[in-house]
Amino acid sequence: MAKRKAAFYTMTIPALLLFFLFHTFPTLQGIFYSFTNYDGYSDSYDFVGFKNFASLFTDSNVLNAYLFTFKYAIVVTIFINVISLLIALGLNSRIKFRNFFRGIYFLPNVLGVLIVGYIFNYIFANAIPMIGEKLGSEILTMNILGSEKWAWIGIVIVAVWQGIAFNTILYLAGLQTIPRDIYEAADIDGAGPWSTFWSMTFPMLASFFTINMVLAMKNSLMVFDQIVALTGGGPGRSTQSIAMLIYQGGFQGGEFAYQSANAVIYFIVIVIISVVQLNFLQKRELDA
Amino acid sequence: MKEVVAEKEKTGRFFEVKVYVYSLLVILHSKNKKYGGSVSMKKTISLVLVSALFLMALAGCGSPKNTNESSGNTSSAKKVELEFFQNKTEAKDSFDALIKKFNEANPNIHVQQVNPPDAETVLKTRVAKKDVPDIIGLGATDTYAQLAKSGIFADLTGDALLNNIQPAYLNMLNKLIGSESAYAIPFTANASGVIYNKAIFSELGLEVPKTWDEFMNVAQKAKDAGKTAIYQTLKDSWTTLVPFNSLSSDIVGIDFYGKRTEGAIKFDSPEFREVAEKQLKLLDFGQKDLFGKGYNDGNAAFARGEAAMYIQGVWAIPEILKANPNVELGVFPFPATNDEAKNKVISGVDTLLAISKNTKHSEEAKKFIDFMLQPDNIQFFIDQQKAFSAVKGVTQSDPSVEGFNAAFESGAIEDFSDHYIPSAVKADTIIQGFLQKKDVDAYVKQFDTEWDKVANRK
Repeated sequence: MAKRKAAFYTMTIPALLLFFLFHTFPTLQGIFYSFTNYDGYSDSYDFVGFKNFASLFTDSNVLNAYLFTFKYAIVVTIFINVISLLIALGLNSRIKFRNFFRGIYFLPNVLGVLIVGYIFNYIFANAIPMIGEKLGSEILTMNILGSEKWAWIGIVIVAVWQGIAFNTILYLAGLQTIPRDIYEAADIDGAGPWSTFWSMTFPMLASFFTINMVLAMKNSLMVFDQIVALTGGGPGRSTQSIAMLIYQGGFQGGEFAYQSANAVIYFIVIVIISVVQLNFLQKRELDA
Repeated sequence: MKEVVAEKEKTGRFFEVKVYVYSLLVILHSKNKKYGGSVSMKKTISLVLVSALFLMALAGCGSPKNTNESSGNTSSAKKVELEFFQNKTEAKDSFDALIKKFNEANPNIHVQQVNPPDAETVLKTRVAKKDVPDIIGLGATDTYAQLAKSGIFADLTGDALLNNIQPAYLNMLNKLIGSESAYAIPFTANASGVIYNKAIFSELGLEVPKTWDEFMNVAQKAKDAGKTAIYQTLKDSWTTLVPFNSLSSDIVGIDFYGKRTEGAIKFDSPEFREVAEKQLKLLDFGQKDLFGKGYNDGNAAFARGEAAMYIQGVWAIPEILKANPNVELGVFPFPATNDEAKNKVISGVDTLLAISKNTKHSEEAKKFIDFMLQPDNIQFFIDQQKAFSAVKGVTQSDPSVEGFNAAFESGAIEDFSDHYIPSAVKADTIIQGFLQKKDVDAYVKQFDTEWDKVANRK
């Protein structure tokens, strides 16, 4: 027994060590710096107590970043889940070239976010305006990323396009866990496709729905790469997410400590959201 | 719960925060399950483990450095590796050509160029890690000022390398960091103003404008003739700084920013409002969808002859010529005011060369800088880059930039305004937002509040 335990410890300890070194330790460092006025490169710094946190709550740029990030995250989460569930249903049915389609729909997931971002940047800047000119549509000839009002839609499109792939796979896995015979039973009972979906498929997918909601929400709350490739946070600050603000202010602006404080607050916010979301959705799973 | 975690492990796509959340939940979960006496036992074990790990982590951080240092010392007898980090993507090939020449002449030294995208940010993160490159090439920007003030560069005051440098540029650097010590050697200077298409100007019978009114006239005529008068690339926020720098340096002057720091003046003033009004006026003469075009689009479009004028620095000229070697270009100082004497060429130190304070090879680094400052080498560089030399006696004679020569001879040059704005204020973002909203009142107030916020956080 003791030997087996030792074996298990040798399996867990290296992972724990790496995890601590690359995740926990930097996090603790960040929390430490958030109480200083460290600029990120000087040799010295002073402790300033809660000054950084006090400044955060009066900074309109922070509020602006939070509003943008949540607006974006909610929209992206909804779109990703609805569309990927639809695609998964299609890919789970008996259609021709099913495996081919499954491969195609998974493809965006293996591409780098930045590469996809730059490709879409080109599409928005050149391809769509060209099509717009051919069609004579005034709206389409404008680069959507250049508009303060609509640039965020461009980022949503790219994030949804790429995000769907992964969630589709999860839904597909979920659909395959549902036994065929209950569908046959439902068929005999005379259930139509609509009621089959709502009273059988969807409840059976409950746990996968939970994972996908949490995953998509968390990914979009951390949005960064897409913005770097598409707008750089602009025009103005209209697409500056919280992660982007932390990066730009902390490294480009030389306010490492101040943005560390921002990151600490954001960490707490994300923990709260995750706990609430998991609790709520799991309760729903049990009810169903 | 377990299902969720297992499922997620399969996916292998973790974010730091997520992992924390789950481990938190798992811990909460396991407590509920009542392990009885074993809980406290487990706690002690994990505590011991964590503290052991902490020590190991610290030890792990320390050891590689030592090995590095010792290997560095032994190899210095054979071949010295020098890292040259610089921020100009346009100049990568020119530097490489010079480095090749240097490496061939100095078989015991090997210089390696590093030129990542977004180099200033990369440099700051490397400095945060205490991993400073041996030789650094940078613009004389706020980033340089911050780094110089933080003391990461070697003090070169009184070094022989400075003897042949034009004093104007040395003064510029001193003013920027507010110190009499020299932490860097000016290498090249740039100049920014208006680039114009000579063919379009002669086709429309336009003269080079000398005052703001003439400038507006020329732009209006080009617009009436159905041309794009001034190509604008507002999608890339930094390009909005180019006209801003000319307007601000000529109208309110560089001293404005010093006074703003002291609190003697505000952005919400008639002089600065003039800058804002003229920034807006320029938008009338842009191409279609000027907010949707970036710097690369602008260079390509101007090379194709799509616009009569382009407000950019000389650093854009090599890029434009790369896209179309046959385009006939000229430059003139941006006429920001109606007083001709006030309309200066905006010129700053484009590349300065600094040495890390902690480099183990400062002699070799100085040797490399001395090589770069040799007249024939810097001439080669400025000819390729259409830049201006900071070394005395080396001049730029390219016809495309001769429009600036008069200003350089008479000393009618002024530094870039944005080098005097703290980078945390993010002037480019404020300007880009203003050009979208076009609200002068909100703009000057935003500049004031952002400036004060940054000052208070210091």
